[in-house]
Amino acid sequence: MDKSRRRLLQGGVAVAGTATFAAGYSAPLEKMAHGLSGSSGEKPAHPIYGDAPAPEYRVDLATGDIEMNPDQRMAFTICYGCTTQCGVRVRIENATDRVLNVRGNPYHPLSSDAHLPETAPVREALRCVSGFDHNGQENRSTACARGNAMIAQIDSPHRVLNVLKRVGPRGAGEWRTVPFERAIEEICEGGDLFGEGPVDGLRAINDYETPLDPDAPELGPKTNQLLVMEATDYGRSALLKRFAFNAFGTRNYGHHGSYCGLAFRMGSGAVMNDLDSNAHTKPDFENADFALFIGTAPSQAGNPFKRQGRLIADARAKGLDYVVVDPALNASVVNPAQGANWVPVRPGTDSALAMALIRWLLENDGYAADFLSLPSQRAADAANEAGHTNAAHLVIVEDGHPAQGRFLRKSHLGLAEPEAEDDGPIVLAGGTPTPADSADRGDLFARTAIALPDGGKIAVASSLTLLREAALEHTLADYAAECGIPEDRIVEIARRFKAGGRRAVVDCHGGMMSATGFHAAYGIQVLNLLAGSMNHKGGSAHGGGSFNGFGNGPRYDLATFPEMRKPQGVFLSRSKFPYEKSSEYNRRVAAGENPYPARAPWRKLAPPVLTEHLASALDGYPYPIKAVIGVMANPLYGQAGLQELIGDRMADPSRLGLYVAIDGFINETNRYADYIFPDSVMYEVWGFTGAWSGTLTKTTTACWPVIEPRQVKTADGDPVGMESFLIAVAKRLNLAGFGAGAIPAADGGLLNLDRAEDFFLRAAANVAFTGDTLPAASDDDIALSGIGRLMPRIQETLPPEERGPVTHLYSRGGRFQNFAKAYDGELLGNRWTRTLCLYNEDVATAIDSETGRRHRGVPEFRRAELSDGTPMRDLFPEDDWPLLAFSFKSNIFNSYAAGLDRLRMIKPYNPVLIHTADARRAGIAHGDTLEIESPGGRAIGIALVGEGVMRGALGIEHGFGHSELGATRHLIDGEPHGGNPWIGAGVNLNALGFADPTRRVAGTWLEPISGASVRQGLPVRIRKLEDVAA
Amino acid sequence: MDLARRLFMTQAARVTAGAAFVPLAQVAQAGINDQPPRRGGDPTKRYAMLIDLRRCIGCQACTVSCHIENEAPLGKFRTIVSQYEVENEETGALAQFMLPRLCNHCDNPPCVPVCPVQATFQREDGIVVVDADRCVGCAYCVQACPYDARFVNPRTQVADKCTFCAHRLEAGLLPACVESCVGGARIIGDINDPESQIARMIDEYHDELMVLQPDKNTAPHIFYLGMDERFVDRPEARPGLWDVRDSDGAELGYEYAEH
Repeated sequence: MDKSRRRLLQGGVAVAGTATFAAGYSAPLEKMAHGLSGSSGEKPAHPIYGDAPAPEYRVDLATGDIEMNPDQRMAFTICYGCTTQCGVRVRIENATDRVLNVRGNPYHPLSSDAHLPETAPVREALRCVSGFDHNGQENRSTACARGNAMIAQIDSPHRVLNVLKRVGPRGAGEWRTVPFERAIEEICEGGDLFGEGPVDGLRAINDYETPLDPDAPELGPKTNQLLVMEATDYGRSALLKRFAFNAFGTRNYGHHGSYCGLAFRMGSGAVMNDLDSNAHTKPDFENADFALFIGTAPSQAGNPFKRQGRLIADARAKGLDYVVVDPALNASVVNPAQGANWVPVRPGTDSALAMALIRWLLENDGYAADFLSLPSQRAADAANEAGHTNAAHLVIVEDGHPAQGRFLRKSHLGLAEPEAEDDGPIVLAGGTPTPADSADRGDLFARTAIALPDGGKIAVASSLTLLREAALEHTLADYAAECGIPEDRIVEIARRFKAGGRRAVVDCHGGMMSATGFHAAYGIQVLNLLAGSMNHKGGSAHGGGSFNGFGNGPRYDLATFPEMRKPQGVFLSRSKFPYEKSSEYNRRVAAGENPYPARAPWRKLAPPVLTEHLASALDGYPYPIKAVIGVMANPLYGQAGLQELIGDRMADPSRLGLYVAIDGFINETNRYADYIFPDSVMYEVWGFTGAWSGTLTKTTTACWPVIEPRQVKTADGDPVGMESFLIAVAKRLNLAGFGAGAIPAADGGLLNLDRAEDFFLRAAANVAFTGDTLPAASDDDIALSGIGRLMPRIQETLPPEERGPVTHLYSRGGRFQNFAKAYDGELLGNRWTRTLCLYNEDVATAIDSETGRRHRGVPEFRRAELSDGTPMRDLFPEDDWPLLAFSFKSNIFNSYAAGLDRLRMIKPYNPVLIHTADARRAGIAHGDTLEIESPGGRAIGIALVGEGVMRGALGIEHGFGHSELGATRHLIDGEPHGGNPWIGAGVNLNALGFADPTRRVAGTWLEPISGASVRQGLPVRIRKLEDVAA
Repeated sequence: MDLARRLFMTQAARVTAGAAFVPLAQVAQAGINDQPPRRGGDPTKRYAMLIDLRRCIGCQACTVSCHIENEAPLGKFRTIVSQYEVENEETGALAQFMLPRLCNHCDNPPCVPVCPVQATFQREDGIVVVDADRCVGCAYCVQACPYDARFVNPRTQVADKCTFCAHRLEAGLLPACVESCVGGARIIGDINDPESQIARMIDEYHDELMVLQPDKNTAPHIFYLGMDERFVDRPEARPGLWDVRDSDGAELGYEYAEH
């Protein structure tokens, strides 16, 4: 074989599957050596079909007639195999209540190519995924590897099935079973629960009237000493938030977003003019002419994982031209796709690439000038355009002016009352200051002084001018040097993006979780505005949103209730609150001190972030807490550096009095809990989820317990879990919003909330009655969709007129807008109509509490800094820490999948990606065991050496390196539980995170604007580890 | 790392539709003469699979769904997707290469004649199956298969392999791997039916389809679309890294290895 041919397969990375087919060899060979012995194994159920279960139904391929297998049932529900939360169809064996397998729900847009209309009979849905008329393969509805493997959670030997109370010190791994009712009593009433002295129960903390700190009343009431955290909204956050915010009245709730994708989400939110909920977009893959993926990798990862994987596969087959910028070669770039290119980038430097692309496009006529000059929705409508931007809006740039950084508005020119509804921005139209809403076009580039009615002048510049100035601060060569992408490569990407015109689209996601992630994501998303591709077919799509069942709906008000509390005060994370309004700031100003820096960052723009909540609370700033309720939350695994920073403090009852976890499994965080309540796992729970952005049609997915929850029941016969826990606690503490008279109905009555279904079935009624009420399900629909066991509960809970539409909803697994509504000619059917921002006024007027300086309103190039503004490389120079570690999502694993045998057998662990040159320098060969060290931790891994990773970067696939989920042995009632070391195989990048040495209040390294955990670009060094004895 | 692990990768060659169907019978004449008569299955059908590699995203949904559907033992696979890092010789560009693998349901299956008890046989519809009642677990067929598509199931002690989910095809349903294929890469069907999707695609991509190891004259019936022609020679792939170490670096090995 000649050399060039050999190079073809030099990687042989074989992240999956190399050993496996061949692994069949060894035993049979051995057997042959001993001669034929005949088969002495277990006899399979069928000589040819083996132990495969009988098909769930049969389809006559001539007629399409369906004959169901009476021993099995199908049900439509939600998969929790990842946060995509696809709608799936679950196949269940009736006799055992065992889930046999999982496929896609053909009504569901996340699972299907073209999803079925909601009105199609269930029989048709089952037929369309069969072999009849080629339907099942020409329009598939699938479930991925992880979704399939996840069914093993249900009967996992590592599952927690009883209410556990710790024995001995917190975190020691010893538990005993206690009755649900007694645990509730202890948690509510407190006392000397662990023989370690008195513990405040929730009743003592439930003081909504007394301020936490009389000297700082802005911090809110004592109820804020309860922190409620969860992993993410698996469809039932509405009930948890109802308890936390409105029944108990704590301000402090957090989820995993701040260590997931928050920096991306906020950068998007800045562009979308939506920093309240951080809306974002995804490409319309089907119609794009050029797609650029930066720090996101469709089919490797991303939300929605499966939908994006399917769409990129289809687009590739049709010849889509696309580029994937990522420190690692990933599953997005496959060999048969000639138009697909991988461009390696240095971790955490994406803002340089973004600004380089912006610069080139602005200097090379590569932007949609006609679209950008539309200054209002009125002008856009007149021009038959979808959406408009603030490119031409004028920003006050007058130094020292009280409104510096704000838009010049009509009121400044005497054309409206300040703050009035019509006090809109001003543009220059042909050089003349004109209200944006009365100009057809605005001048895109302007920097001038405008005469004011009082005779003065004020310096202004257009948003696009400010963006261009930011982009021009560095040359393309400088940007190229920063991000490690050659200048000619950047220009080539820019040219292709320009050539894509209105069908060029860029996307980014988790790769933005760097120290400069906000500005990187902001800059990248601004490219979609320059292309004018937002809301366009083949462009960037916000998507159809969802039907909200938990609001003040047509049948029930699930958002408010009598005597409802409203959360008050400052979040533990000091988010959404300007430091300048705090008592601390005022005291320091009054004392003549420089108020900056604050003791710890206050982030006016950021949502409440779990990345700050826990560490700050344990450090007592801005106030200490007394109790944590965690639902499936695992920040100590998920946040870089958190375990090292707060592990010991979590174990210290004097810093945290009470920690109650609700979870089906013991994880790296709840191992410190005082109590663990078992929870339902997927297919056992109630809930409603929406679809991720970019899903073009309106979608709400429903789930209900399609199998009986396996864990212990309460004395009332309900499964122990989040719902029964919250209801029991609220009733014992007599909190409003739960128990008797808690749910206002549309007819004015008040209904009880005593069981999970009291809440979720009424949410179902709201969804079913939104807009055009759903029709009633037919008897055949009911029979074929496995909802027989749900019917008695619907009948007990809902009035007759609601039962038919609600049954229809559950028989389809949710409510789904018709596929045909995805497009409206050249535009997307569902569009984003707010003013899109090249310049964000909220960002520009927020002050960094660490430096006292304003943030910049346009995206800019940033280098990684620590909390106080010290460049990261000043403290951790390249000479000492030559590599930058990054993590990437696994296409197989997630953060809670390690316990699944069927995934571990494909991917037993995650070798560490190292570039050939870096490996050579460190004396490390492919397959060597190495130690990775960072300023905050160390980890041991196996080197996967090759060219498929950026030089100077070190890649770690996420989801491995667990110490729990079954890896460590616990004792429950004296019996061992868990202890399989293979579950803990591999490396977790977050073990390499570190405490930010420039902080005064304990915190890990966080992105300055969002508070997102920094996991892209951690400074590390490596060394070869000599053989370690087994 | 044994040789089998290192060199499992296969050859592929460009075959035209003509080469795939007409001449194979002749090319493989010698082999076919050794084949026992086919039995069972619908003689009017010839099942085959086309895998559109442009659409394969390497997600292993097929691997896991097959494993669950057919209750394969942990660490044994009837199908799997191998993933490689490959370099374009002209441009130097790197890409991933995903190769779904399974039994090729050959027209001239080398596994069949070697079976001393005729447990392994080919049905009239082309599906190669194992009769567990007859199989003695000698593993001659495991040795004979050039695609490493068989294993001896440690639980049943008989040869185990892909059946195209014959039990599902007979119920008018799709095989587990096809039904769950996220990218829509796997297309199963009856190539004797000109209206079938697979027959239409074979017609459309006539000149682009390839099979693995055509020189073995096995007349495989898994057709790959988007296969890189340079895979004709047996490539040398560096082994994957399978042996696990614990957090201190001590070796744990592969969890599901046979001991």
